[in-house]
This record gives sequence, structure tokens and C-alpha cells, in this order.
Amino acid sequence: MATDKARGGKGSGWFSDLDRLLRGELTRTQSLRAGGLALDPLRLALVIVALAASYGLCMGAFAAFRADGPNLIQIVASMVKVPLLFFLTLIVTLPSLYVFNALVGSRLAAGALVRLLVAALAVMTAVLASLGPITAFFSVSTTSYPFMLLFNVAIFAVAGILGLSFLLQTLHRLSLSAGPTDEPAPLAAESEFVDQGALEPVGERGPSPHVRLVFRIWVVVFALVGAQMGWVLRPFVGNPKTPFAWFRVRESNFFQAVFQTLRSLFS
Amino acid sequence: MTTLVDLPRLADRVLRGEPAGRASRPRATLAALALLVLIHGLCYGAAMGTFGGFTGERIWQVVYSAVKLPFMLLATFAISLPSFFVLNTLFGLRDDFTRVIRALLVTQAGLTVILASLGPFTLFLYVQGIGYQQALVANGVMFAVSSASAQILLAREYEPLIRANPRHRTLLKVWLVVYVFVGIQMGWILRPFLGDPQQPVQFFREGSFTNAYMVVIELAWNVLTGQARR
Repeated sequence: MATDKARGGKGSGWFSDLDRLLRGELTRTQSLRAGGLALDPLRLALVIVALAASYGLCMGAFAAFRADGPNLIQIVASMVKVPLLFFLTLIVTLPSLYVFNALVGSRLAAGALVRLLVAALAVMTAVLASLGPITAFFSVSTTSYPFMLLFNVAIFAVAGILGLSFLLQTLHRLSLSAGPTDEPAPLAAESEFVDQGALEPVGERGPSPHVRLVFRIWVVVFALVGAQMGWVLRPFVGNPKTPFAWFRVRESNFFQAVFQTLRSLFS
Repeated sequence: MTTLVDLPRLADRVLRGEPAGRASRPRATLAALALLVLIHGLCYGAAMGTFGGFTGERIWQVVYSAVKLPFMLLATFAISLPSFFVLNTLFGLRDDFTRVIRALLVTQAGLTVILASLGPFTLFLYVQGIGYQQALVANGVMFAVSSASAQILLAREYEPLIRANPRHRTLLKVWLVVYVFVGIQMGWILRPFLGDPQQPVQFFREGSFTNAYMVVIELAWNVLTGQARR
């Protein structure tokens, strides 16, 4: 099978969880029914750190080609900060999600919730890291700081949207698999979707409307907190006009800044 | 190393398409397709670079352009590929990915073959003694013609994939957007391809490491606001 070959090609077991996640093998309804999301969250977290750091490298590459000489410490800072950005956002948003999730009577236990979120982060960072070469190319060949800022915002948005739609989709599947098994209808439908991708919608029955609402709100909150967290942790790209700093003064907010940057792009 | 001898035949197969049912001939390897891009890209790049003549120092412009053209195509391909791989995996199309790469590479190879076939036209126009601006436009037309014609190949190669899973159609659009987006910037920083005869021969243009999109944005903004900077 081609699948086995591709998995063997990955070599180490470190990325095999990620690979199976991206392929949608771990999130098939059958395997979810057998035992939830079967992945090791700690090991996957390390993979996330590696992927996010690799994107940080591409992002920080802008600072390495400054007119006044390379600023290598910015690269190190970006490589530390991108993983930090994801995990801090998760830490800020996870407790409330757990509480509200339990409040509206979802069947997801705490462990399953953590695994689900780590899986979503993994998808997010995998997309991010795969876009890294494009970012690195533009970082190296561009002198416009506002362009690079907006470019990175767009890349993060793409990764975030894909990761979060994976989250909603997997949640949907988790509740499908946790549902009563005496109904044969979803089982029959499953056989058609043996090769379904990780983002493929399955079936009509999903989690209860309350759970869905909580997760939808959470996805929005996660995006907002993530954006603002990125603002707090800045600079990632490094303004060529200012000297390196680990952090900038806390002022303004992400959305104002994006708007300002958009304006400065045209002036 | 029979590939070098077989290249013309391979180019012919790329243009005509390989009938799916015939297993008698081994299908062209991905490396052979990349080699096809390289060789034909070199040919057209060299033709392109002869604008300023090829005597004395000008010969270097020919060499530079010859190297740059296939580099532009292959580097854009390589840079855009990782995200396309992850996207395909995420949308459940991973098992088709080898065929997807082949389809894309066949299109690239076809593009350069078409481009190389237009090379004599370019040279013919150069011989007429057209100016630098006209030469730029002429090359733009050649690229436009070959890109448009290569779409025939792309549609043909992708047709069975789309038939198997319509999702390929969406991803192909994503690929084209990303590829063009990266390709424009790649072409921009690799200037000059023609070599303005008024300027000395150089591999990279002075200050060429700018952003193509920023240049366009500034131009558009200046037109809109009526400012004429410089």
C-alpha cells in the first residue's frame, strides 16, 4: 500500500502521529469509536514546538538580511516565540473551554479535550511550517517591513483557519462516535468514507447545539486571543528601523496595528 | 543515463500525453521531467538573453539568463510544494500525491518545451532590431502564449484526478494561485532576464531585492493619488 510506504518514509516515529492526523486516519469514526483520539499529547507537543520553531526561523529570516547587517538574535527570538505563542494561547483559553464544555454536558473528558486541542494545534503548526519556505523566500527578497507583517498575518490566518476547522470537524466526529451505537444509519454511511480526509464533513448528526455553540465561540476566542498574544509577544519579524528588543512596549492592540500597517503599505 | 538521448522523445510524449492504458513503456520519471524543464528552460533563457548581443561581456547575459529561467521555474515549484503537500494530505488526497506532482511537472515541462519552440521567434524579432521595451513585451507575449498553452496539458493531466475526486479541482486552483504569487516575486528578484543594453551586464539588478507587489501597490497608489514620485 502506498500509505505504508509513505509512513515508512517518515522514518522516526516522532512524526508518524502527525502524519496519521493529517491523513485523517486518527479521526475516522471507527478509530474514534475504538478509543478516542489515539495519540500521545506530550510527544505531539514536541513536534508542534519543532514545527512552530521552524516557521519562526523563516519569519525571522527577514531580520537576517537587514540593510545594517544581520540581526541573528531576532531569528532566535522568533524561533522561541512562535511555539510560545501557540502554547500560551492554549493555556489562556483551555480552562474556560473545559468548564463551559462540562457545563453544557458534553461527553468529552478533560484528557480527550486536551488531546483534541493538541491535535488541532498540530494541524495548525504543520500547515504553518509547510508555508515556511514561501515566507522565507519573501523574507529574504523583500525590504518592505509592512508587507512582511501583513504577509505573516495572512499565513497565520490560513494556518489558524485550517487548524480550527479541523478542530470543529473532529469534535463533530468525536460526538458521532460517542453517540448511541444502536442506530445503524451512521455506520452504514461510514463505509463510504473510509478514505475521508481530516476535513471531510461526515453525517448530519453532530454534537448537541450547546456544545457546538461553546466550541464555535471558543474558536473565535482562540483566534482573538492568539492574535492579541502575537501582539504581546512581538516583534517576530523585527522592524529594520528599530534596534532588537525581546519585547516591545505594551501599547495599542493587534487589530489597530494591522489597520495601521495596511495604511502604511499605501504611503 | 539514457534520458539525455531520449529527451526529444520524452518531450514529444509530454506534449501528446501518455495514454493511460499502455503499460508497455515505463512512464517518464519525475527526474526526467525536471531535466526536461532544465534543458528547455536553458534554451529559451539563452535565446532571451541574446538581446544585447553575445559578443564580449554580453555573452555573460546569455549565460545568466539561461541559468535563471529554469531556476525560476524549479525554485518556485520547490518553494510552493511543501504547503501543497500538507494541504493535499489534510483534504484526504495524499495517496494521489505522486500523480499530482507528475501532473504539475508535466505541465512545467510542457511549458518550457513550448517556450523553447517559441525561441526562434524571439531571436527573429531581436534580429529585426526592436527596442528594449518592445523586446520586453515580446518576451511577455511568449510567456503568456506558453503559459496559456500549458493549461491544455494541465487540464489533460488533472482530468483523471478530478474525475476520481472533485476536490482536486479546488486544490489545483489553490496551487495555481500560490505558484503564480511566488513565481511573480521570483521572476522579479531574478531580473534582469533581457539585459538592458544601456546597462552593464550583471547577474542581479542593483537593488532588485525588492518586492514586486510593493512596487505594484506603490505604482497604483501614485496613480490613484496623482502623485508622481520621481
